Amino acid sequence: MRSFVGLFAFAAAFGAVIAVVYWFVAHEEAAGTALLAVMATGLAFAAAYAVVAERDARLEGDDPNETPQMAAGDDLGVFTTNSPWPVLIALCTLALFTGLLWSPLLGIAGLVGMILCFWRLGAESART
Amino acid sequence: MIEWLTTTDHKKIGIMYVVSTLSFFVIAGVLAALIRAQLAVPGNTLLGPHAYNQVFTLHGTAMIFLVIAPFGIGLANYLVPLQIGAPDVAFPRLNATGLWLFVLGGITVFAGLATYGGAAATGWTAYAPINEFFVGTGAGQDLFFIGLLMTSISTILTSINLLVTVFLFRAPGMTMWRIPIFTWEIVATAVLIIMAFPSLAAAFAMALIERHLGGHFFDAAYGGNPILYQHLFWFFGHPEVYVLILPYFGIVTEIIATFSRKPVFGYVGMVIAAFAIAALSLGVWAHHMFTTGAVSNPFFSAVSFLIAVPTGVKFVNWIGTMWKGSIALQVPMLFAIGFLLNFLIGGITGVMIASPPIDYQAHDSYFIVQHFHYTIGGGSMFALFGALYFWFPKMFGVKLEEGIGRWVFALLFLGFNATFIPMGFMGMEGMARRVYTYPAVGHLPLLNAVASAGALIMTLGVALFFIDVLVSIRRRAPVEDDPWGGYSLEWMTTSPPPEFNFKTLPAIRSRRPAIDSRPGSV
Repeated sequence: MRSFVGLFAFAAAFGAVIAVVYWFVAHEEAAGTALLAVMATGLAFAAAYAVVAERDARLEGDDPNETPQMAAGDDLGVFTTNSPWPVLIALCTLALFTGLLWSPLLGIAGLVGMILCFWRLGAESART
Repeated sequence: MIEWLTTTDHKKIGIMYVVSTLSFFVIAGVLAALIRAQLAVPGNTLLGPHAYNQVFTLHGTAMIFLVIAPFGIGLANYLVPLQIGAPDVAFPRLNATGLWLFVLGGITVFAGLATYGGAAATGWTAYAPINEFFVGTGAGQDLFFIGLLMTSISTILTSINLLVTVFLFRAPGMTMWRIPIFTWEIVATAVLIIMAFPSLAAAFAMALIERHLGGHFFDAAYGGNPILYQHLFWFFGHPEVYVLILPYFGIVTEIIATFSRKPVFGYVGMVIAAFAIAALSLGVWAHHMFTTGAVSNPFFSAVSFLIAVPTGVKFVNWIGTMWKGSIALQVPMLFAIGFLLNFLIGGITGVMIASPPIDYQAHDSYFIVQHFHYTIGGGSMFALFGALYFWFPKMFGVKLEEGIGRWVFALLFLGFNATFIPMGFMGMEGMARRVYTYPAVGHLPLLNAVASAGALIMTLGVALFFIDVLVSIRRRAPVEDDPWGGYSLEWMTTSPPPEFNFKTLPAIRSRRPAIDSRPGSV
């Protein structure tokens, strides 16, 4: 996790510095400053979340001397091979977006379909 | 069919990304051929102005959103788990969702052609206020926004997935400082995407709200500001340029190191340079807006110049990797060298137009068209073909024909330069981009004729590539698991790899696990 935190913290610091520099150099231009500030805040949140929530995480990939034999028996979880829900979620997204513009009924159908697909996908994920 | 529609295997998803991006590439190529046919002679009437506007809009949109960027993402889908020794990506179902959002989004953009008034015709940037008021921007423009919103969501989801995979699913011993440069470049790209793409999604959502729900974000008559659209668009748009190039830097690094028979020169410098480029690219967006007079030109000019430094570091490292190497000039290496030569021209012209006085002269001229085609076409597209020749044996267990591949490279390299070198001179003679015709003055007729002839040669090169694919698949010559003598983990599994990638994982003790495992290695 150290590499993740380091990367995101560095990027957040860069974003914060450049936002401040930009505010003064660009004569207090608001749009760009807001974009940079939001970016820095988002990155800082990701780094802080990793520190708080995953501080005890120990990854085999972070140990240069770890071997597959030493890691044998560790459970990476089950990787699914097939699921019908992703393609249906994409179709429902298209229905929702086009429905919002031209057909409320299609939009509602897309939204309901999407919720059902996520529901089923959640159940499938819990099983595997 | 159902198997492929429902698959969550990262390799199949990666292959479907590659196939769909190549399909969009063929369509975008046909559109490019139409552009060059229209401009081959002055005063041509092959395409009318509105048809021409649709053609160049769809060409640019497809190449950027549906070909170059998703090819990099698709290749990452296929390769990253293999390169870090993971059985799959972290979220396989999310991965499949991303693929289908991308495919449907791309089809939606092109579906605009079937609407009354035609497809989007505002250029790939779809600036406000023309995205609202321009004649003929009907349902096609809406489909453009919807389609690209879907591809944006897809790209963000896939980037999160790839980041989590690299950070959490590395094989034992595969520390961050041992992962291949391609994977590092994908990490930098994914961070950029997560930072930049929400801005694009916001701009497009606001444009749709203006068009359909009475919003006035960009409408000056109601207190809105059209420059705000440009800020939102380019806050995405310039990082997007690096989303279009960083994965290809990774591809070229892998190819050069493999075919020079040497470790990557300056590995750490390469990684730092990638992140320096990514970080700086988030602070240069308004160099596309110098001529608006509404941005701080000195700030954006200075940061734009700075990007040349880490990019130069990469060039030094590529040359350092080749230096005194045992270079094998096989087809992937030819494309990598083609990349270096073409991208250098794109980079140098980029430094030129980072200077506001030069940009004021060159803005919206064919000089700019030449510049970005040398970076994205001469750079990314050459690396794309290099990647196809390099990893095709791994993906399909079939090696593409070397002899035909050399002709593909020769035609593309000759055709590309014949097409785009004249465009720099056209720009200097004052030819504006996005015009469907031009007067027969100065050297413009000759330069345009040469550019169109070059485009024809490129078309032959692309056609020959697909012939190469068909011929090679038909012959099905047996191929080894590692036909090139590669150094990273993907070459240590079968071609194509089995389900969940590795039957057994080797001990990873360095940045070149495949070399370590060969007989005689220390």
